[in-house]
Amino acid sequence: MDRRRFANWSLKAGIVAAIAALLPGVVTLRGRSRTSATRGVEPGDRLVFALGGNAGEVITEGSFTQNEAVLAYPEGKSDNHENLAMVCKLDPARVQPPTDMAGTAHGIVAYSAICTHLGCTVRFSEEPMEQAPFPHIHCPCHGAMFDPQHGSTVLGGPAPRPLPQLPIKLNAKGEVIVAGPFSAPIGVKA
Amino acid sequence: MTVPRWLDERLALERFRAKYLGKPFPVHSTFFLGEIALFCFVILVATGLYLALFYEPSAQLLQGHGAVPAAYASTLLIDSHPFGALMRRIHHWTAHLMIAAVVLHLLRIYFTASYRKPREVNWLLGLGLLGATLAASFAGYLLPFDQFSVTATAIGYGIARSVPWVGSTLADLVFAGQFPSSATVPRFFAYHVVWAPLALAGLIAGHLVIVLKQKHTEMRRAGAQPEAAEGAYIHGIPLWPEQVALMGVLFLVMLGVLAALAAFLPVHPSAFYGPPQPVTPEVKPDWYLLWVYGALRLIPGGLSFKLFGATIGSEVFGAMLVPGILSLVIVLVPWLDRGPSSLFYTEPPMASPLRLALGLATITLFLALSLAGFGAELGLSVPVLWVITVVAPVAVGWAAHALARGRLGPLGGAPG
Repeated sequence: MDRRRFANWSLKAGIVAAIAALLPGVVTLRGRSRTSATRGVEPGDRLVFALGGNAGEVITEGSFTQNEAVLAYPEGKSDNHENLAMVCKLDPARVQPPTDMAGTAHGIVAYSAICTHLGCTVRFSEEPMEQAPFPHIHCPCHGAMFDPQHGSTVLGGPAPRPLPQLPIKLNAKGEVIVAGPFSAPIGVKA
Repeated sequence: MTVPRWLDERLALERFRAKYLGKPFPVHSTFFLGEIALFCFVILVATGLYLALFYEPSAQLLQGHGAVPAAYASTLLIDSHPFGALMRRIHHWTAHLMIAAVVLHLLRIYFTASYRKPREVNWLLGLGLLGATLAASFAGYLLPFDQFSVTATAIGYGIARSVPWVGSTLADLVFAGQFPSSATVPRFFAYHVVWAPLALAGLIAGHLVIVLKQKHTEMRRAGAQPEAAEGAYIHGIPLWPEQVALMGVLFLVMLGVLAALAAFLPVHPSAFYGPPQPVTPEVKPDWYLLWVYGALRLIPGGLSFKLFGATIGSEVFGAMLVPGILSLVIVLVPWLDRGPSSLFYTEPPMASPLRLALGLATITLFLALSLAGFGAELGLSVPVLWVITVVAPVAVGWAAHALARGRLGPLGGAPG
């Protein structure tokens, strides 16, 4: 190998090595959240109001009337956005499979409040809408609609899959308690 | 000895003046669009320098201030300063104007075929500038950290997450982990005030040097020499003093209009939107992303299917395939159009019916998708919007083609 070719090849090898040395740095671009390890929801967690004047107070069976829903976090775990749940109180007779019936109590059903389309917070419809019967859950971002009486199956719009259900039960004081993990991954999944 | 003379002896200013200050600038109202974009960048940097003095890039909740995030609190602090709100609004309005100017500049280049050889490189640099401008806007959107901006960024995060196979990793890399969390605000602050402006400045420099080197195109006048002719030259006003005077007037008019807009129309009122909450407000994206929003609403969730373990859902179609294909076609325009190259002259928009038709059809498609974003408000159902999205661009393209041919066909002026 003559000197010219040697110089040429060492230059190219040097460039490749320099780029390769940068790659581990790219991995460090991933999360560096300062909040200490955010905890997921666990069985036995009490659900508390996520919003409003009574934020942080435990949700009980008497906290809301039929065909009403509230946003909730597992107690003390509001720093993890993926824990956000929508607790709906529905007509017990009309809650049907594919809802996980064992994870409901007296018509109270809880779903992840994070839309499976692009991660907005879904809403419980306040009034009947043309496109879907009341009660239903809809997303204000791109119009996804879910049926809370049937395991939040997709009624319309762009959502690819139902909202994951959060199984709940009531304890002796009527407080809403988490009975198991979410039934599917939360939010957007490719 | 005078100061200019003293400087000239050391810096050869006279040679610089002779070589560059006499550069001819062809004059047409549409030739100022790029300059408007450039001046927007200057105004954005100037107002941004002021805002950066007070802004605090942190999502940490302040104790004793109603527990609002520090970034949101510092935005309200800026708004409370004399001229602070005005500065922030001018910054926001200028960002809108910059995107509009870049897009219109792109359309001007397209419809006059000014992307042809030898200007393909500047076509690509210009598209890079459009991308960098949009990226800077998106990153800047989060910074006030009010409920509106957090929602917009959360949707961007959702789109990144939904990329097949690599979505979660990609979203983590770009948003510094899960969003919302505390790491994204400092990261986006870095994108918005360091990375994006540096990229824009570099691209602008390259863009302008190439214009200087290749010279600006001009409209073909009656009796214009063939450009290959001996001694053919570009007609225009010299950079100094005429063009500089025009630029100065333009800059001041822009500044005046933007200040008036900012004074009377409170764009992005963070205090009104309030601090971030877990509930999502009814939001629509800014006008320049309405078409993606419309596409996302149009494509039903039932379309999703599995491919090698990844779900190809409606958001992949709406937020990736549709914009991706449109962008790719736009990038490839100089290679798809095999028309004759011209070093000196623009081509009249009507000269090529096909180019005119495709351009207007594409604009109509963007408008139709944007309209789909307002389907619910207008009482238009998704099937109706689908029909509009398909029919309107075809109809407009066909009409434009027929018009251009009808006008030019008998004159024999245009091929095909």
